[in-house]
Amino acid sequence: MMRFWGVFIIVLLCAFGARAQFMAESPLTINLAHDHVDITMGFNGSDLVLFGTKKREGDVAVVIRGPEVPAVVRRKSQVMGVWMNTRSVTFRNVPAYYDLALSRNEAEIGAPEALRDNRIGLNTLDFRPDARQNAEEVGAFQEALIRNRQVQGYFPLEPRRINFLSNEFFRADFRVPPNVPAGDYVVQTYLINDGAVQDTRETRLRVAQVGFNARLFAFSRNNGLAYGLLAIFIAVAAGWGAHTFLRKD
Amino acid sequence: MQIYLPIAEMAVPVESILLLGTVVGFLSGVFGVGGGFLMTPFLIFMGLPPGIAVGTQANQLVAASLSGVLGHFKRGNVDFKLGGVMLAGSIVGSVIGVVLFRMLQYIGQIDFVIPILYVVLLGSMGTLMFFESLMVLIRSKGKPTASDEKPSLHHHPFFQALPYKMRFPRSRLYVSALLPAGIGFVGGLLVSIMGIGGGFLLVPAMIYLLGMPTLLVAGTSLFQILITTVVTTILHATTSHSVDLVLASMLIISGVVGVQIGVRASRRITGAWARVALAALLLFVSIQLAGQLFIRPLDLYSAVVW
Repeated sequence: MMRFWGVFIIVLLCAFGARAQFMAESPLTINLAHDHVDITMGFNGSDLVLFGTKKREGDVAVVIRGPEVPAVVRRKSQVMGVWMNTRSVTFRNVPAYYDLALSRNEAEIGAPEALRDNRIGLNTLDFRPDARQNAEEVGAFQEALIRNRQVQGYFPLEPRRINFLSNEFFRADFRVPPNVPAGDYVVQTYLINDGAVQDTRETRLRVAQVGFNARLFAFSRNNGLAYGLLAIFIAVAAGWGAHTFLRKD
Repeated sequence: MQIYLPIAEMAVPVESILLLGTVVGFLSGVFGVGGGFLMTPFLIFMGLPPGIAVGTQANQLVAASLSGVLGHFKRGNVDFKLGGVMLAGSIVGSVIGVVLFRMLQYIGQIDFVIPILYVVLLGSMGTLMFFESLMVLIRSKGKPTASDEKPSLHHHPFFQALPYKMRFPRSRLYVSALLPAGIGFVGGLLVSIMGIGGGFLLVPAMIYLLGMPTLLVAGTSLFQILITTVVTTILHATTSHSVDLVLASMLIISGVVGVQIGVRASRRITGAWARVALAALLLFVSIQLAGQLFIRPLDLYSAVVW
């Protein structure tokens, strides 16, 4: 009986040991040079670098996704000569920010199904419209949304390139624009071989205002009245000061 | 040099903001109009969300109108009683205006309604001013100008029949309180929906509708604008959190400097020509805005994310 348990425990330990062994040699590891983007008073965009290693054959794709937010897309038409918004579609799960780096062309890197399942690439994003709409129309609205986001700099115009520093070691360089939305981002790295995704790694990125900016923003939301009074006070001080010290007599 | 605005959550070039504030302050110093109706559209042109532009502009107007009121107050040119009645109307107007603003934002027509309002306002003002100043110029080339007979509507039977008459000793008026309150109401609406002081509407209304002595008009209207913008700033700060202190501070400081330059420069600029130039500027801005409305936009689609 004891021997049975002894063997059983050894077998379990070996199984765990083997698993640990497997983990130590995982095909993909990644590390963000900075895991937070600090928005300060003088913020004008920021560089983002991701380093990684891959121990197996295959291509690498890195996707940065911002928090999912609702978006309303409106279309104008002419009403009595004036162009005004007449139709609108609300989409639910739109990433506030999306960027993408590939080690190979989008068309060649993997099978379309694999790309779509993992939402790698702008044309694989599937936004959920709010109400039941005509499928064709929704397509036009979705395209318009992607176009609009690209113009504003929240979606990429085309995928970036991943640089391989050696056979195993790579880096992906991104640049976030000055108007990057605040929130918790997810950076996902995929190892793609034979058309399918073999492994993925995920890391978090925090984009937020810091320091004076953050304190002022929190103050304006939490103490609206005090903030309003402060605004008035500054204006009154400036107006009175101008009158007293800059009078033309 | 870019500066990141904490409430607007976007970066703007510091030079452009300071330049805008100075130029608008300068115009305000020369012509005596608040300049809000130029500042807000330009802020929106620069990419600021309309809500932030309107809320922050209300804050800037507090500074501008205060420095004006103090000057008039020192000379005893403010009718506080009349101003107080107008204020009652304008506070109601600005509360309703903030509610309307939020509703328009919600149904997505805010970027249609605000330009239309500006087109109508600036277009009609610009046209009226243009012809009025041309008339003055033409007349002054001939015989010496006849005395300006200022017709005033408050003698009209309709206005005489309104209830709640009050005496306003400073302005030597005996009119229904509904009249100044009504004018104040419209002013309050304008401040909260469009981010303008409304002086250019209040001043002619006070002269022609109420029959106030011209000397008291500027100071009293500035007093009314001051309190209205204080109330509107607090309303916007507490309900829609749309007052950006960093932006407001930059506009206030550059505006104050601009006004002083403008006031000094105004002594050298002759009245009628300056008004023609201002009228031309108003027409230009309103035509630009009208163009946005009547010309097919490059992209029929627009998106808002929140």
